[in-house]
Amino acid sequence: MSRVVALPGPRLAALRAEVRTASWFAALGEPLTEGECSDAAAYIDALGLGLLAVGQAQDWPDVERILKMPDGTTAWWDREEALRRQLLADAEALYPEHALWSSLTDLTTEAGDLVHGKAATAAARMGKAAPASIHVAAGAASQAVYQLAVARLAGQPASPFESKFRLYAAGRWPLGIVGSRLILF
Amino acid sequence: MTDVVIKTVEELKDAPEEYREAVGKLVISHAINELYGAQVFDEPAIAYAPTPYAKWLTCRVAMEEYGHHVRFKQLGLQMGIPEERMVPGAGKKPLSIFEFPLKTWEEFVAIKLLADLAEILQVEDLLHCTFHPLRNLARATMPEERFHAQFGEDFSAELVKTPEGKARLQAAVNEYYPYLPSFFGGSKSRNNEIFRKWKIKQRTNDEMRQDYVKRATEVAAKYGLTLPEVRQAA
Repeated sequence: MSRVVALPGPRLAALRAEVRTASWFAALGEPLTEGECSDAAAYIDALGLGLLAVGQAQDWPDVERILKMPDGTTAWWDREEALRRQLLADAEALYPEHALWSSLTDLTTEAGDLVHGKAATAAARMGKAAPASIHVAAGAASQAVYQLAVARLAGQPASPFESKFRLYAAGRWPLGIVGSRLILF
Repeated sequence: MTDVVIKTVEELKDAPEEYREAVGKLVISHAINELYGAQVFDEPAIAYAPTPYAKWLTCRVAMEEYGHHVRFKQLGLQMGIPEERMVPGAGKKPLSIFEFPLKTWEEFVAIKLLADLAEILQVEDLLHCTFHPLRNLARATMPEERFHAQFGEDFSAELVKTPEGKARLQAAVNEYYPYLPSFFGGSKSRNNEIFRKWKIKQRTNDEMRQDYVKRATEVAAKYGLTLPEVRQAA
């Protein structure tokens, strides 16, 4: 029998603080550090898509080319989606549906406005970004916040969404898996 | 015409009852329809988007639409409207277009191209609203609505590059466009009369509808698309 409880306010408040203090898009194009490679390896491992190398996009046009590849695999996207749906179902079993939905919507809306501004700043600093790509970056980052919130509310501390968020928090943008490589920007 | 200007939510408490009710109806309507749009079209469209670029762009659009709901709901809460009246299922009938769940990427592109243009006209009409918190909210929302319509244009431009893509997009336009002119309400709407009396809104439903049909025809033509004929109920 399921037991529905009130949403964990402190857990959501802690996540909000992490979102506010993350270095969104601050390290795009910089050489990868050991810590970032370690987070990338943890993400690959948790996603369960086998052994992958880590690659890097150089600039915004390179990012746009990678993300628009018509023949690019989206197995990683489908894996993330399947996991998100499972975690959301777990969270829905724990918390009142409307309160859960409202808190996720409010959090994602707040995060979306923040990361959009950060993406715009990064694009202006580096140059050569298509205007729509700022929206793409903001969509990716706010999706990462949403995924992490769902995982934490479901009580799942070992999901790939933890290491994925750490990459964003370090100023990176994980672009997904192309061939046998996870590409970071 | 009645010259009332309400600069804050606090001042609204002293406004005439008809004015307060009219503003409340508009806020509720926007809060509900933004939420329906995000749930029925924008969020499901992420799965249909063909590349990660399009998927994340659609994510951002969906989040902005949810954000519009949040903004209107927050204004409604400040005005004393109970939250349950600003979410679906509270008795207010949704617009008919929301009864047709999304099935393809081309349908989503057609909706962004044409339905978000209708949304732009609705928001434009609030840009000079005498209730300034609603006017300000409309001004904050407008750039995002324009981006959503541009999203529709950009992906329409992609789709019409091939005959197959253009045919699928035209089929989606044919399916969804007939529901859009009725977005603007009845010709003899009592609500619209009250909105204009208090300068909450500026134009009649018919004026807006005519403007919409003209602009929708122009934007469709840019991409070699045609709009099906729609017969209007009196």
